[in-house]
Amino acid sequence: MPNAQPLPVAVRPAAPRARPPRRVNVWLHVALLPLALTALLAYLASTVWTVALSFTGSRMFPSSRFVGLAQYERLFASERWSIAIDNLLFFAVFSILLCTLVGFLLAVFIDQKIRAESLFRSIFLYPFALSMVVTGLVWQWVLNPEMGLQAAVRDWGWQSFTLDWIVSEDKVMYCVVLAGVWNGSGFMMALLLAGLRGVDEEVWKAARLDGIPVWRTYFSIVLPMLSGTVATALTLQLIGSIKVYDVVVAMTRGGPGLASEVPARFIMENIGSRSNLGQAAAASTVLLVTAVALLVPYHYLRKHQAAKSGHGA
Amino acid sequence: MSSHRPRPRIATAHAVAALVLVLAGWLTIAGTAAAQTAEVIHWWTSKGESAAVNELAAAYRKAGGTWVDTAIAGGDNARNLALTRMAGGKPPTVTQFNASLQFHEIIEEGLLNTIDAVAVPQGWDRLLPEPLRNFVKVGGHYWAVPVNIHNTNWFWYSKAVLAKAGVTAEPANMDEFFVALDKVKASGAIALSLGGQGWQELMLFNAVLHAAGGQDLYRRFYTSADGAVALTPEFKKVLADFKRLKNYVDRGSPNRDWNVASALIIADKAGFQVMGDFVKAEFEAARKVAGRDYGCFAGFGPKAPFVIDGDVFVFPKSPDPQVVRAQQLFAKVIMSKEAQVAFNRKKGSVPVRADVDMGEVDLCTALGLAGLRDPSRHVPSVEQMVAPEKNAAIGDAITEFWNTRQTVDRAARALAASLRM
Amino acid sequence: MTAASSILATLPPSRPAAPTAPHGRPRRRRFTPARVGVYAFLCVAAAFFLLPLYVMLVTSFKTMDEIRSSSIFALPWRPTFDAWVQAWSSACTGLECRGVSVGFWNSVLIVVPSVVASIAVGAVNGYALSLWRPRYGNALFAILMIGVFVPAQVVLVPLVRMLAGVGLFGSLPALVVVHTIFGMPIMTLLFRNYYGSLPDELFKAARIDGGGFWRIFWSVMLPMSTPMLIVAAIMQVTGVWNDYLMGLIFGGSGMVPMTVQLNNIVNSTFGEKAYNVNMAATLLTSAVPLLVYLVSGRWFVRGIASGAVKG
Repeated sequence: MPNAQPLPVAVRPAAPRARPPRRVNVWLHVALLPLALTALLAYLASTVWTVALSFTGSRMFPSSRFVGLAQYERLFASERWSIAIDNLLFFAVFSILLCTLVGFLLAVFIDQKIRAESLFRSIFLYPFALSMVVTGLVWQWVLNPEMGLQAAVRDWGWQSFTLDWIVSEDKVMYCVVLAGVWNGSGFMMALLLAGLRGVDEEVWKAARLDGIPVWRTYFSIVLPMLSGTVATALTLQLIGSIKVYDVVVAMTRGGPGLASEVPARFIMENIGSRSNLGQAAAASTVLLVTAVALLVPYHYLRKHQAAKSGHGA
Repeated sequence: MSSHRPRPRIATAHAVAALVLVLAGWLTIAGTAAAQTAEVIHWWTSKGESAAVNELAAAYRKAGGTWVDTAIAGGDNARNLALTRMAGGKPPTVTQFNASLQFHEIIEEGLLNTIDAVAVPQGWDRLLPEPLRNFVKVGGHYWAVPVNIHNTNWFWYSKAVLAKAGVTAEPANMDEFFVALDKVKASGAIALSLGGQGWQELMLFNAVLHAAGGQDLYRRFYTSADGAVALTPEFKKVLADFKRLKNYVDRGSPNRDWNVASALIIADKAGFQVMGDFVKAEFEAARKVAGRDYGCFAGFGPKAPFVIDGDVFVFPKSPDPQVVRAQQLFAKVIMSKEAQVAFNRKKGSVPVRADVDMGEVDLCTALGLAGLRDPSRHVPSVEQMVAPEKNAAIGDAITEFWNTRQTVDRAARALAASLRM
Repeated sequence: MTAASSILATLPPSRPAAPTAPHGRPRRRRFTPARVGVYAFLCVAAAFFLLPLYVMLVTSFKTMDEIRSSSIFALPWRPTFDAWVQAWSSACTGLECRGVSVGFWNSVLIVVPSVVASIAVGAVNGYALSLWRPRYGNALFAILMIGVFVPAQVVLVPLVRMLAGVGLFGSLPALVVVHTIFGMPIMTLLFRNYYGSLPDELFKAARIDGGGFWRIFWSVMLPMSTPMLIVAAIMQVTGVWNDYLMGLIFGGSGMVPMTVQLNNIVNSTFGEKAYNVNMAATLLTSAVPLLVYLVSGRWFVRGIASGAVKG
């Protein structure tokens, strides 16, 4: 075969990553034992148990009294649950969107060779160090109409200032989103800043030469380059959003009335004070199915994209 | 044979005997101490509550026991922890619980030890007020030791605000109450201080139910299985009265904590608050005096229903005789007159046995004791009559009615549906 | 020299070892409107982010009378450390009134082994899954990624039974195992992505050199993992320190973390709310993660820049 020289490493086309030869590698399997145990026992078995429980009439304790789909019927007829789901959608969509947007803006601005960059970065990142309980508590104090911002501004003279969202049924979820964005934007900023820093100077120069305005460069060229990082970050945020609980409990306790109820809180209440494990299990199963319904197509989409770009990731 | 030879052997024997005796003594003491070690889960974490529970711990220690404290704020948190640990096989020795039907389910699951060994000789049948006795004695056995009695049907008011508004006497029924509220509102203060949280709204509703409907309607409502009582005109009037109270509550009420609502009374910014007896601790912390700065009455009129609600301790099942001994000692100590007096003085609640002498008490405690000693006024608490889920559904319906523009009829139908659960 | 290290030496720097200088317009220190705009935006954003911290600090230095009578933004007239002292050593958390200090060392004892264990397991998992690719790897990983959406309390009862069954309940080892279990999905995700983004040749060369599973991990992969280890450590220290539920249930009565003390102080069902003490206690409990972020914020960003958290 002519020209049988192997190409230099850097130029060789990216071959699909080959599987290591199939020797019996004991250590590999031993090392993965914790993963296997955790996945199979702690996650799979527990999840199966939960799903099974959702078909029983369990009250405070697990029971094996089969009730068919009765728990699901109850669940879907429950006003509290439908409010919870609505709130979850609202919270997930808006907090993820805003965190990403705010994080991106902050990253872009910090990236502008400013002075005191470390200071600004610490200011934006520190809320992420606080637990969601603390986040909820602190924003509840600030947004409290009698004790917080509204009272303070009125004291300063602006008598008609109103910021009583947290006690209003329609607007309380805005407050929860606000607290979530305050907590999580810094993390997005850190991610995106790191990504921005990794963008080669050449790209900027080329874009400038082509006459592309700066903001377009960000959106059409740079952002797509960060897609991997953004995707992982979005996954992490989605996980956090679906399980949102602490911040709601600390901030509003699901109130006023039922207005800020969320699925995780619905589930906890049913496990605890309402003593209805069956409902809690049904609600958890619904959450799970929703998550799977979102993740599976997403996973295949990424795989498809990765295959298209010849990447072995 | 020289005479000195046997001496070392005797000395050794003496030494060994002494050592054995010391060891036996130490083991016995250690064994006895271990036998009386009780790990206690409870949710009394605030300053006032801590002082009260310290009285119990001191009494337990005096009786020879060791108290290992596991305090968790939030009743639900503490109960969940206790239940999880029971499920996990590492239960605490004793855990606090509410007097509620939740506790019946635990008994059914066989997770508790009985305390008959203490209850029967001490004659709890005679000592406890009937609703409480019916509650802790299930299937002929005693399963919990009650610690105190809370009445949730208290009205508190600021003397200064009422005086300024021209209210000269405590209202004796709902109509007079509305008149008083009008006067306070007209004088510029907040008429009714309420924390807009589900449980507070429910407490207010129950107070109105007692006042407007009396013992009979209260019992009929909560024991109803078909919900028909909710659709009667009598009950609908209760709902209307309840909603009418909303006119007297200020805009900042939603999600306000109960003690912030009390603070408004203390600061003479609000007139009335309807809340349980734990409010007293707030007044005392602010150095207010009953009868001078604030007033109290346990429902309207001298025959107002007196709710027998309270905290109990239950004993998770264990075959270990040491644990059982500790549990029994614990029960004895809790029921003793000294511990009852000491604890309830600090806590602001009322002892579970009517035969104690509380000594010098303030106005509000005296009213509470009067209520305790009049069995005709006693009614069980809601949690004792209604399963947790149904209770929660009723709570949801009430909070929805309070917070939205729902009509009385819709609310009545929603409540009827909850009752049918 | 091994094949692996020789390959390392010849690789072009495809990724900056440290973040390059900021981008944006070339150096222009004049006060153009754009420049002013940038600073203005950043300052407004900073005010928003600092607002709650300011409120917490300011309130913690006031007396309760001041709090009742002034707005939350007002500076204290007569600042006092009383609330801080109380929060640390004399606030009531149950029978005892010894503040949050009781839980501090417990939290330290819990965090150190838990972070080490969960990162170690996550790193090994990520390494095995992305480079060795066992056949069942994807299935296990998928289970983790789905299971992470179930709220912890739901799986608590079966988990408690399982762990108690092997004698792991109510002790520090139990807690370390539990934190490892609940940290595994995210840690594995991060490390798997990280190792997957490293050049293929590295691993291939190491195998050619005859390295076994552990050898390659220890001498080749681990040294290259520093950025990711830092990111993971920061996230795990925060997560484990701020945890409340697991510490409460699995720790046993002698190993109660600071967060439980904090909850007992702030959320007492019936009692006067001493806001100044509550805020001081909150700040004290959050001090460790805050410090970690303040001190290592730059490493966090660098770690991510060096390839951690790639999709």
